Amino acid sequence: MLPFLRGVCMRNVLKTVLMIEKSNKKNIAACIIIAVFVFGLISFITTEEKGNLIKERTGDYQSVSSALYKFQIEDASENGDGSDLYKNLVRQQRVISTQRMAARVDRPALYLETSLELADLRDAAFKMDGFQDVALYLPTKTENQLQRVYYQELVNEGKSVSQNPLSFYQFLGYLFGIIGAGWFIFVSIYSCGILIEEFQHTSLIKGYPISFGKYVLAKCSSAMLMVGIFILLLFICSLPLIYFNGLGDSSYPVAVYSGSIEVFTTIKFIGVSVLYMLLIALFAILLSIILNMLLKNMYLTMFVQLLLYISPYLFPGMMAFVPWNPINYLNFSRIFNGETLDLATPAALYMSQGLITIGVCIVIMLFIIKAFFTAGKLKRV
Amino acid sequence: MQSYFKFEFLHFFFNKKNIAVYVILLFFSCYYAMVVAPSYDPIEKVDKLEMEARYLTREDFLNSVNTERMHPSTAYAVMTYPEWNEYEKGRLDALEEHDFKKYAEATSKWYTYSDGMIYKGGDFLFYHPRYYTYGNNYAREDGHFAYLSAASRYEGYAEGDYALSIDVFEERTALQTWQRLLQSYLPFILIVSCILLSADIVLKDRRNPTLLRGFPMSPWRRLLVKGGVALFGSILAFIPLAAGLLIIGARNGFGSLDLPVPIYSHVDKSFSLISLSEFMLQNMALIILWFVLIISLLLLTSILIRNEFANLFIGFAVVIGEFTYYTRGIGFIREVQWYPTSYIQVGQVISGYRNYVYESNALTLGNGATVLSACVCIILLTVFIISNLPKFKQL
Repeated sequence: MLPFLRGVCMRNVLKTVLMIEKSNKKNIAACIIIAVFVFGLISFITTEEKGNLIKERTGDYQSVSSALYKFQIEDASENGDGSDLYKNLVRQQRVISTQRMAARVDRPALYLETSLELADLRDAAFKMDGFQDVALYLPTKTENQLQRVYYQELVNEGKSVSQNPLSFYQFLGYLFGIIGAGWFIFVSIYSCGILIEEFQHTSLIKGYPISFGKYVLAKCSSAMLMVGIFILLLFICSLPLIYFNGLGDSSYPVAVYSGSIEVFTTIKFIGVSVLYMLLIALFAILLSIILNMLLKNMYLTMFVQLLLYISPYLFPGMMAFVPWNPINYLNFSRIFNGETLDLATPAALYMSQGLITIGVCIVIMLFIIKAFFTAGKLKRV
Repeated sequence: MQSYFKFEFLHFFFNKKNIAVYVILLFFSCYYAMVVAPSYDPIEKVDKLEMEARYLTREDFLNSVNTERMHPSTAYAVMTYPEWNEYEKGRLDALEEHDFKKYAEATSKWYTYSDGMIYKGGDFLFYHPRYYTYGNNYAREDGHFAYLSAASRYEGYAEGDYALSIDVFEERTALQTWQRLLQSYLPFILIVSCILLSADIVLKDRRNPTLLRGFPMSPWRRLLVKGGVALFGSILAFIPLAAGLLIIGARNGFGSLDLPVPIYSHVDKSFSLISLSEFMLQNMALIILWFVLIISLLLLTSILIRNEFANLFIGFAVVIGEFTYYTRGIGFIREVQWYPTSYIQVGQVISGYRNYVYESNALTLGNGATVLSACVCIILLTVFIISNLPKFKQL
C-alpha cells in the first residue's frame, strides 16, 4: 500500500476507535470522577481551612505537646535538669507560640524569622538521644529541610507567607502535589481492559483492513488522548477559581526534592507533574496491553498492576537496592516530597531519574509489543 | 422463577463492573492490612514513657511540696496525686511483670479516676493533648467519652478470662480492627459498594429487551428477583474484605469473639459491655437492612428515572445525607432519630457514640431497624404500584 493511503487508513481507524470511545460509559464515568475529585478537593480545602496559618501552627503545637507528654516535667532552662531533647522541645513549643502570635497579629517578617528558628531547633533535635521515641510527632528530616528551604526562599524573594489556597495556581499546586498518589491507580483501572475484547475474540479484528499492530497503536493513541482530556479537565474544573479567588501567584515557591532539596515555582511544579502524569499514563496503558496479552483477563491485569504499585510500600528495602525500578516512581508525589529519604533504608530517588526510567521502560515495552505482533503469535491467540 | 434467578445471578457475577468492584475491594483490603493498619496510632495506647513521665512528675511534686499554707490548687494536688499515682504505679509494675490482667485492672481504675478528676476538675486539668485539635470545641467531651470507654473496656478485660496482649489492649487484632472500622468508614465502603453493584441491575435489560420476553414473569416479580440477586451480591462483598482480615490476623493475632465492646447509654450516661460477637451481629443486621433499603431505592429510581448516573447520584446523596444536618448536640432539639440517614454510621450507632454526639437517647438499634424497615416498605410499595401500572409493564 502507498504510504499516503496507509496514513488515511490509520486516520480512519483512529476516527472509528474514537467514535466508539465517545459513547463509552467508562469515559463518562472517568470524567465525572475527575470532576468530583476536583470539586471535592476544593470543598476539602475550604472545610479543612488549608492555608490557615494559625490552624497549622496549632497542629504543630499540639504535636510537640504530645511529644512532651512523654517527658517528666522538669527545669527546661539552660542549666536545668531536663534532657537536651526535652529542652529542645520546650523551646520548639515556645517558638511555635511566637509563630502563632505573629500570624494572628499579621507580622509576616517575624513569622518567617521564627519559622527558620524552628527549623534550626528541629534540625538539632534529630541528633539527640531519645529522638526515636518522639519521632512520630515531629516532621521527618526531609520534611523539615523542605520547610526550611521554602521559608528561606520566601525571605529571599520577599514574598508573603499567607496565600489564598483556593486561588488558581495555588490550588493547582496543591492538587498536583497529591494527585501523584492516585494517578497510576486511576489510569490502570481505566485502561485495564483496553485490548481484552480483541484478545478474546480475535476474529473481531481480523476483519479490520489494517494490521493488528496499527490497530493497537490506534487504541493506544485514543486512550492517551482520553488521558490528555482528563488532565485538561483538571484545569478546566479549576477555572471557576479564577473568577472567585483570582489567579494567584504562578511563581510562588514550592519546595521539592529533585536529587537535592530545591525550590520550584508553582508553574514549573505543575509542568513537571503533568509530564510525569503523561509518562505514567503511557506506562500504565502499555503495561495493560502487555498484561492483557499475557493474562487474557482484565481483572487479573488490574490486580497485578495495583500490586505492582504497592510493592514499594511492602518491600521498602527494595527501593534503595534497585533505584532504577520504574515502579518506585509511580507515586510521584512521594518522590517530590523526598519521602523515600526518611525510610529505614533511605533511597535517594531523583525526579529526573524517574522520568528517564519510565521513558526507557516505555520504549522497551513498545518493542516487546511490536515483537509480539510481528512474530505472528496473534494467529495462535 | 428459579431459572430467572439463575439467569440474573449469572449476569450479575459475570458483569465486568461487578467483578471490578470485588477486585478493587480485595486490593484495598490487602492495602489496608499491609500498609495502613500497621501505622494505626491510637491515643489511648500502652505507652510506658507517658506513664512514667506522669508518675515521676507527680511523685517529684509530692516529695518536694511544702504543705504549710498552700494555695488551694496545690492542696488539691496534694490530696489527689497519691491515689492517682497509686494506679499509675500499678500499671507500670504490671507492665514490668507482664501481668496483663493486673495491668487491665489498674488501667481501668486509672481511667475512671482520671476522668473523674479531669472532667469535673475545672479548667486546670486536661485529657491527652491529642484531643485538643484546632477548632475542636468538644475536645473535653471527646476525652471524657474516650476515657470512660477505655475504663469500661479495661474493666471487662480484667474481669473476664481472655488471652490478653498489648495488641488486644490497643485494639490491633484482626477482629478488633474490624470492630474499629465498623465504627469509622467501613459502613460507607460497604454501602457504596452496594450502590456500585446494583446501579445497573435493572437498566442493563434495556440493552437486550427481547431476551427477557421469554420469561413469563410480571415486572414486579422480576424486580424482586433482581433485588434479591443484588442483595446477595452485596453481602458477598464481605469476602474480599475478609482477605485483609486474614493478613492482619496473621500479623497481630485474631483476637477473640468474646472480647468486650463498650456500649454507651445516653440515658444513664454510662457504659456497659457486650461481647464482640454480639456487636458484630447487630452491625451486620443493620448493614444488611441498609443494603435492602439502598437496593429498593435504586429499583425505584431505575424505573422512574431510567438512568444509571441518576441512580449513582441518588445513592450517594443518601450516603452523604447526614452531613447536611449533622451538628453536635442537634439531637437535643431535633428529632434526628426519624431520619434514616442518621443511622448510616452503623458501628457508631450501635456503640452509642452517635447518641453521645447528637445528645439524643433515641438512636438505637431498635429505632434504626424500625425507621429503615418502614422506608423499605414504603419504597417497595411504590415500586409495586408503579410496576403494575400498564405503562410500566414493559420495563
